[in-house]
Amino acid sequence: MSRGVDERAADVRRLLDASRAVYEDRERIAPEIARSTGLTLEGVLYGFSCLERDVADGDVRSLVGGAGDAERVHVVLSANVFVAPLRALAVARAASARVTVRPSPRDPTLTRELAKAAGDDAIAIVSDRDVASVDRGEVHVYGRDETVAEVRARARPGVRVLGHGPGMGVALVSRAGDLAAAADAIATDVVPFDQRGCLSPRLVMVEGDEGRGEALAVALHERLEGWGARVPRGELADAERAEATRWRETVRFVGRVWSGAGHVVGFARWGGALSVPPPGRHVHVASLLSFEAIEAALAPVARHVVVVGTDDPARLGGSVPGGVRVAPLGLMQRPPLDGPVDRRARSRVG
Amino acid sequence: MERDTCRESDALHERARAMVRSFERGAPRPEGFDALAIDLARFQAAHVPGYARLCAARGVDPSAFARASDAPAVPADAFKLASVFCFEDRAATVTFRTSGTTVGARGTHAMRDVRTYDAAALVFGRAMFARDLIAPVPVLVIGPPEAEAPDSSLAHMCGLFARAFGVAESLERTFFVRQGTLLVDDLRTRVAALNRTDPVAILATSFALVHLTDVLGSDVLALPSGSRVMQTGGFKGRSREVVAGDLRRTVARAFAVDERAVVSEYGMTELSSQLWEATLVDERALPGIYVEPPWLRVVAVDPESLAPLPDGTAGIARIEDLANVDSAFAVLVPDRVRRVEGGIELLGRAPGAPPRGCSIALDEMLGAREGAP
Repeated sequence: MSRGVDERAADVRRLLDASRAVYEDRERIAPEIARSTGLTLEGVLYGFSCLERDVADGDVRSLVGGAGDAERVHVVLSANVFVAPLRALAVARAASARVTVRPSPRDPTLTRELAKAAGDDAIAIVSDRDVASVDRGEVHVYGRDETVAEVRARARPGVRVLGHGPGMGVALVSRAGDLAAAADAIATDVVPFDQRGCLSPRLVMVEGDEGRGEALAVALHERLEGWGARVPRGELADAERAEATRWRETVRFVGRVWSGAGHVVGFARWGGALSVPPPGRHVHVASLLSFEAIEAALAPVARHVVVVGTDDPARLGGSVPGGVRVAPLGLMQRPPLDGPVDRRARSRVG
Repeated sequence: MERDTCRESDALHERARAMVRSFERGAPRPEGFDALAIDLARFQAAHVPGYARLCAARGVDPSAFARASDAPAVPADAFKLASVFCFEDRAATVTFRTSGTTVGARGTHAMRDVRTYDAAALVFGRAMFARDLIAPVPVLVIGPPEAEAPDSSLAHMCGLFARAFGVAESLERTFFVRQGTLLVDDLRTRVAALNRTDPVAILATSFALVHLTDVLGSDVLALPSGSRVMQTGGFKGRSREVVAGDLRRTVARAFAVDERAVVSEYGMTELSSQLWEATLVDERALPGIYVEPPWLRVVAVDPESLAPLPDGTAGIARIEDLANVDSAFAVLVPDRVRRVEGGIELLGRAPGAPPRGCSIALDEMLGAREGAP
């Protein structure tokens, strides 16, 4: 290892200093991010609250400890939430003294601002680097599965590729959980980035009967209505609206739907299959008589789940697949900066 | 109560079959499309709890339906999540299931009286694919027999066609996918032994044809003059995807038949009727344009408002099938369609939403999505 743990931690800390500076300057860059992401200005400013700024030493050391050691790291950013570049850069910088990053072509703002504020000569932005030109070290790619697959296919032999694909969050509310508090917390998790993050909950499973599930759905609808007034949802693309319509009609058939100006909550008793809504502040609530069945209920979507939010982590036990983060409700969008958000990431040497 | 429901269902089935029979005889339709559609929608709203919920959520009263388009369409995904059946499961005489699974479930289409499905499939299948066949012909199915795929509506339909259009033959000489294996050598042998004076009908899925033509390479299994090939279904991740025109050319070359004799059929598990290309029976018909039977109507609707669109405008498919008596007469399918001169143009799956974050997209989650039987 060419750099010690302290040196790596210091390099990460330098990025966190930059993060604080960018955060302080958020009013200036928010309009540009709003244009590129489709979020409202309020949505961008709220999203900034998820940008890590103050991180415990233990978390930084965990991040450094898990980052490995690479001669060079090339980071490819594509579809992500707009605050994601910080963590991607931190992981890369912890791993290597030489980092190049290709920002998301559609949303390069935060990457550019972080790199500028960090003033770290070890980080260079390269807008058009072909992955096939990376001749050693690692490539960290963040994006859709097909993007990850393309990068793997183009990587040279010997280059290690770490792929971070898309995902989703699931919230679990236990039988003993307070429904009002759960609805408050889940709404807090749904709103950031208009639910387009891999940590954003799209399914909520409620332990109990249909009445309990429906009560949570109503409460969540009310909370999202309130959030919509403070942080309006951005515009949905045509295809997003079309997907939302098909999902809404399906849930109307299998259960009930509550629609707001910028959100939809659906409810149905779990009957062996799940109706996963599209992103855009669409949440499907399902009641489940007992969490004993949670593993089976989530099995169809388990490989896509990055985080499980719950009011009772102790009861989850071994029901959550390895690599899936477990977070308290209300903090699903704020995992510690202890490594990649998606712990399911798999690497492969090209 | 249940007896009354059965009687009502029986009467609706009879009306649907009367419509099929009238087409078969070239007689006028016994009643208007909308009249039967409205009665089906009311019957289904009364006996399918999910449909009653959908109507209520849409703020529509089934007793006030004045035309077919007043009745909401059931999204195809609903068949994966809930019962879309007017009866208890035990009343089903046949249950078809979609081939793929979507978030934990296969779409299920239960039928109490399969005779209506059979009549609709046979009569229109004959009209579009076998109209000129005056005697039974050898039918070769590049797919499994029904016994090996008892819940496949496609296997059921192919079995039906083999019995109706075909000369009596053994399973071994008719079906060339057995236990999941494509029996290319058996097919070669069978084709080589064919009487060269009698035309042959091949029934196959698109992905089976891709596998077959990949194996054949430049080899040709020349069929007798007048032979034809029915292809159906998408690729569903079971083979590489091939553009429709390319596959048509490849299949025509592989069997030494005219491209217009390679006819596509469009159906899906959630429906009881099928659409066909008309290239075999209408010299003006264009490939890629599908014709509806008189008891089925495809309406392109706005993907967000679900309102009908003018002819020539692309939208997603609302398919109204009067043979879907005990399930959902109108089904919303995420396929893009456009009404053009001569029929319906299929434009493929509605595109998934563009990625604007790292939340997994629905089309990514579903992977290769199933649609056809």
